[in-house]
This record gives sequence, C-alpha cells and structure tokens, in this order.
Amino acid sequence: MSALAVRNLAKYYGQVRGVEDVSFTVNEGEIFGFIGPNGAGKTTTIRTLMGLIRPTRGEILLLGTPLPVSGGELYRQIGYLPAEVNYYPEMTGRELLDYAAGFYSRVDKNWVEQLIERLQFDPTRRIRGYSTGNRKKLGIIQALLHRPRLAVLDEPTSGLDPLIKLEFFHLLQELNSAGMTIFFSTHVLEEIERICHRVGVIKEGRLVQVAPLDELPGRRMKLLTLRLAGGGAPEQLPADWGQPEAVEGKPGFYQLTLQTPANAITAQLSRLDLEYIKITDPSIEELFLAMYGPAQQGVNRDVL
Amino acid sequence: MSYNIIRKELRLNRRSFLIWAGVVLLIIAIYLPFFPYMQDPEFAKLLEGYPDTIKDAFNITGSLFQDINLYYAGMVMQYALLLALIYTAMLAGRLISREADLNTAEFLFTRPLTRSRIMASKTALFLLLNLLLWALLYGASLAVGSATAPGDFDPSGQLLVHLAGFLASLAVGGIAFAAAPFINTVQGTTSLGVGLGFGFFIIDALSKLTEKLAFLKYINLYHYAALEDAVAGEPFLAGMAVLLLLFLLGTGLGFRFLNRKEFTG
Repeated sequence: MSALAVRNLAKYYGQVRGVEDVSFTVNEGEIFGFIGPNGAGKTTTIRTLMGLIRPTRGEILLLGTPLPVSGGELYRQIGYLPAEVNYYPEMTGRELLDYAAGFYSRVDKNWVEQLIERLQFDPTRRIRGYSTGNRKKLGIIQALLHRPRLAVLDEPTSGLDPLIKLEFFHLLQELNSAGMTIFFSTHVLEEIERICHRVGVIKEGRLVQVAPLDELPGRRMKLLTLRLAGGGAPEQLPADWGQPEAVEGKPGFYQLTLQTPANAITAQLSRLDLEYIKITDPSIEELFLAMYGPAQQGVNRDVL
Repeated sequence: MSYNIIRKELRLNRRSFLIWAGVVLLIIAIYLPFFPYMQDPEFAKLLEGYPDTIKDAFNITGSLFQDINLYYAGMVMQYALLLALIYTAMLAGRLISREADLNTAEFLFTRPLTRSRIMASKTALFLLLNLLLWALLYGASLAVGSATAPGDFDPSGQLLVHLAGFLASLAVGGIAFAAAPFINTVQGTTSLGVGLGFGFFIIDALSKLTEKLAFLKYINLYHYAALEDAVAGEPFLAGMAVLLLLFLLGTGLGFRFLNRKEFTG
C-alpha cells in the first residue's frame, strides 16, 4: 500500500503557478526525498498534502484516504514539520510540547524525553528566545512525539548544526526501520543521498523525475577546481573531461563538472602535475542546470 | 471542542482579560459614586445650558440623574459597554487572526482536529471570558451601587442591563469572528475592535441627533441592547434576540470562512 499517492496535482495562486501536473507515490515504509531548488514548489505540494491549501486540480490519497477529509482524525497518524518553524513566543519549549502532546491520545513521555536528549534541546526557555536551530529542534520533536505512521518533514535540517544533523539522520533511520514512512523535502543533495530510498525531483513547479537514488542522473557528479603546475594550459587536461571554464579573478584556475566515476577521476588526476585541486559536490542549482537544463529537459521527462 | 485549546487560549489571554476587566471596573468604580453629585441643583442648571440635540446624542436627560438605576444603565454603562465592545471584538478577532499573524496556523491546523472543532474551542473560550467579564461587572455594580445609594440599587433590573450588555458583546464578537479569517495580523484585529466599538458608539449618538438620522438605530447595537428599558424591567426582547442572532450568524460565517481559508505562509 502506498502511504501517499499524488495524481496530476496542480495549484495556482490566481494566475501564478505553484505546482503543475505533479504525480508520485510514496510507498509505506520508505524514506522518500523531495528535492528541488528554493521556489520549485516543494512547500506548496506539502501544504496541499497537509490540508493547509486546496489543490486547483488533482487527487491526493493520504494513507489511503482521499483528500480533502471532513475530519481531522487522519492527521493523528501524521507528523508534520513545516519549513519555517513558528510557535507561540510566550510559551516555553516544554509548554509547547505538552500542548502538542495534548492533541494525541497516548504520548509516551519517556520517548519525548529521549527526543529532547538526543537533539540536545533545552525545553525550559521561552520560544521567543530560541535560535533558529532550537526552534527547528522543537519542531522536529513535536512532529515525532506521537510516533506518527507518516512523517512529512519540510526542510528539517536547515539551521541544525552538523552534529545534531547527524543524530537526526540516525533517528530518522531508526524510526524508518521501525516502520515509519518519511517524506523528506530538502534542497541539499547530500541529505538525500544519506538517507533516502527514492527521490522526486521538482523544478519550476513540475516534477521532472522520480527514481531510486542509484538511478538519479548526476548523482556521481563532481565539481573540480584545479590549477596546473606553473599555470599550465587547459589543453593538458584529459579530452573526455570536456571544456574547462576559467575561474574569474584567479588566473590559471579552471573548473569542470564531471560525471566520471570517482576512481577514474583520481586515476586521471594522478597523471597531472597539479598545484591546487578541490573536489566538491555541486550545489543543487549547478546540478539542476547540468541535469535538467533546457537541453536535457525532454530526456529526463521520459524517465517518469 | 478541544479542552487542550481552551486551556492554552485561557493562559495566553488571561493577562489582557485582567487588564481590560480592570479598566472597565475602574470606570464603574469611579463613575457610579458620582451619582449624588449629579443631583446638585448647580449641575441641573449646567445641563440646561446644553443644546437639546447634544443632550439627546449623549443620553443626557434630567430623569437620568434622579434615579441611580437609570444613571447607571444610561450613563455609566454607556462607557463601560463601549470598552467591553472594543475588548470583546478584539478578543474574538485575535483568537483567529493570531494564528495567521504568528504563522502558527501551520502547527494548529495540522493537528488531528477539524477546523470547525478548533473554531468551536475558541468560541467557547470567547463565551467563557465574556461571561466572566459581565459577571464581574454585575458584581462590581452591585457593590458600588449599593454603597452609593443604599437600598435603591435594583439587582434584578441591573441583571437585565448586564444581560443586554453581555448579548451586545456577543454580537460584536460575532461580527469580529466573521471578519477575522480575512485579517492576518493582530494589529488588524485591534483596529477592528476599536473601529467597531467607537463605530457603534458614534452611530448611537448620531441616531439620536436628528430625526433624519434616526434610521441609524437599526444598525446600532446600543439600540438593540436598550439598557434603560432593561433597568425599568421592560427589556427589549426582540432587540436581545437580534443581538443573539448577530452572534450566531457572525460566528457561523466565521466557521465557514475559516474552513475555506488557505494558509499559504
């Protein structure tokens, strides 16, 4: 059974397009990554799932129930973390968690304490005094405190420091192993690679690809910045790497985007006399430009 | 209804309730003990100097100063009701608009509750605080009125006055509930409360100013509350029914508008 099925979803704000013709399913028990640059339509899709906005067209089945639902009981099985976490500023973190827990019939207090401890959250302070990271931790705890069947997490890691982020990923993997389905939206490719089983890629309001992580084109894409010894000419670089781009303001520095396997790159690099080398993952914008730029658009649509 | 929401709203609104209730009680405590001084012949002479239209507009009639019950219902309560209307309209508006203002709608409206249940819980809190306010006003009026004119202050007549005031507050709350889904800021609801409170106060004054403006009484909550008739033991029952209907209609529209509202962040 699918935990979530979206068919031909469209949302327009007047004449302005939010999302158009979005279709995908999330299987029960999987971690589904929903990736796209800012403004691509991720949050619009998620707000539609959560009943905060109504679709212009399309059909949504949430845990087997068609939306919109007349009652709110369906949401007892769902945990939701919005992209921007806002709560009542005069409440303390603890008061907010008690308030959130009050909406569910049985919340295990030990579990809540475990979440607080694992995310190193101080619940005694007033919400108005929390940093972005602490607000995000509070949001994560309130979304997971009732052990939902489906967790819908919109940009859950923004504002978290690296160690907490790592702990959060461990937590998600444990919950997923215990049966929780996770819908995870992000614009950071690395996060998708770390925990997701399948990925939906959204760009400019349209879903351009849904695929298992291994089949995601550009997954192995690397960004190379290098300088040859003595400021050597780019012609010395392997021909199959394509045309390098000169780095503006840095004479002798070149940048390349490669989809070659990592061991092939290192083998070719070992033959070069290099003064400087930096290998990074591309940003989501760079990746999207390479994968879903105008020239590639038609090809990738076929994968759907 | 969700007691969880009612408890939380009570905690968040208790301070503003105490402040507003304190201010309205202060009006009663200061204004009502002035009654004996209003019977001074010098004061009566002073009143004679006022143009009739102004006296009519602000409800200043000679008989009002001869009877403490009339004085309270027609003079003191005029201003107490003005403040109560402002507060209750603001309260109703804030209960709904605050969620959009703080962006907490994404939290509240994704809980396992229908929007109607959420609205019902907020309406229940509104009713509770409104009832408490008017009970306090009634208690204060009895205490101060009895101390000012022992034996003359009529508890049953004043109960009707406070009942009419309570219904007027409900009516203005209903209007605010209907408007609140369209207002996304707390400042907006403050303007709404002040606007409604003073708006009805001014309409009341204008409707009494000349015959040509008398038709304004039909859109005047003070007219339907008819506080002076209530204190005389002849409450304007049809007017009270209109006030109750306004509350029910406004709140019903509020439910409908909130159910249709989209929270786009």
